[in-house]
Amino acid sequence: MPQHWILARYLPVFLEGAIVTVELAVSAIAIVIIWGLVVAAARLSRWRSLALLAGGYIQLMRNTPLLVQIYFIYFGFAMAGFALSGFGSGLLALCLQNGAYAAEIYRGGLQSLSVKQIEGGRALGMTPWLTFRIVVLPQAVARVVPALGNQFVLILKDTSIVSAIAVGELTHVGKLLSERTAATYEIFFVLAAFYLIMTSIVTTLVRLYERRVWYLL
Amino acid sequence: MLPDVLIENLGYLLRGAVMTVGLASATIVPSAVVGMVLALAKIFSGITLRTLVEVYLYVVRGVPLLVLLFFMYFALPYTGIDLPPLFGGVLVMSLYFGAFMAEIFRAAILSLPRAQWDAARSLGMRRWLIFRIVIYPQVFRLAAPPFVNTCVLLVKSTSLVSIIGLWELTLAGREVAERTFAPLQIFGGVALIYFALCYALSRYGLYLEERMRFAH
Repeated sequence: MPQHWILARYLPVFLEGAIVTVELAVSAIAIVIIWGLVVAAARLSRWRSLALLAGGYIQLMRNTPLLVQIYFIYFGFAMAGFALSGFGSGLLALCLQNGAYAAEIYRGGLQSLSVKQIEGGRALGMTPWLTFRIVVLPQAVARVVPALGNQFVLILKDTSIVSAIAVGELTHVGKLLSERTAATYEIFFVLAAFYLIMTSIVTTLVRLYERRVWYLL
Repeated sequence: MLPDVLIENLGYLLRGAVMTVGLASATIVPSAVVGMVLALAKIFSGITLRTLVEVYLYVVRGVPLLVLLFFMYFALPYTGIDLPPLFGGVLVMSLYFGAFMAEIFRAAILSLPRAQWDAARSLGMRRWLIFRIVIYPQVFRLAAPPFVNTCVLLVKSTSLVSIIGLWELTLAGREVAERTFAPLQIFGGVALIYFALCYALSRYGLYLEERMRFAH
């Protein structure tokens, strides 16, 4: 028997979970945008030791699983006397890992521009700052935003992993409800639908942006 | 240099690492097959099949892997499909990463000049034959760098099956951390083992990319 009533009855619970997921994703995205810039700047810095440090950080973060980072922070930090909440640990891990990916996206965007454009701007008598502002920046932004958008979708999906340390986000809520109601099928379809809606919103925004800046790509 | 508690349990963790490598290897091959089939369907098939493939890709890309694993583990048994976790885990991961591989293969196939198809056609070759002896050998070379990078993501994602109780490196780490009360050292060690595996793969991907740049 299909148990549609379950969906109506538990929809508010799902929404609560979805709010936590959105909170987690939005804060992670906001921090990642800035933290990625910092790491990219360090990576491209003229100080060799700083650039090497940033490179090491990027490699370390990109080559270890998010789940292990979450366990390391959640269980490890608590043992070291620096306890973070589940939400805080998840957020920190999401930012650390995706900051590394974002830094590589920023770097790729900047380095994909031909040096000749900068030389051209300089030859026209523009100052380095003006060249950067009206030649380099608009193109770099147009190239970076779509890739960042894809990363945001991954961040949104990766928030589900935080359920492993019992943070009450969408996946955790879905799992609890499926255990409580035994309407496992219905619950998981709703869960998937929630994620699909959220990721579709991000994807659509990225597409719209791409359409607007096509001449810069 | 390593903490004692890590050295004492290193053997156990390394056995977990062997399991992780096994899981990843068992997933990579079927996910490549799924990806290739989906890519071909997306490029060459009629509107019905192509729409189905699009829907599949849309769903799989929009839903987290963990939710799909939970679905297989908690929901499927209710319909009488009770997969053993190991098989189910590999199956779900193959279907999930197949969707990502599909995009890689599709890009590689479409990046080949159309003239190759036309030339082979004018030699009287059928579509399948063209694909098999002209396109296919080049696709794997072109797709190799992003393919290897996706494999890094795949190795990292095998850690998620620990949440549905499959024993591999991450679950081994959890067991040891709970037993020894040294999560910092143990999970640090686990992260280092993952790093060794994934960094080697990443370097290989980078090497392939460099070689590709040289070839073109």
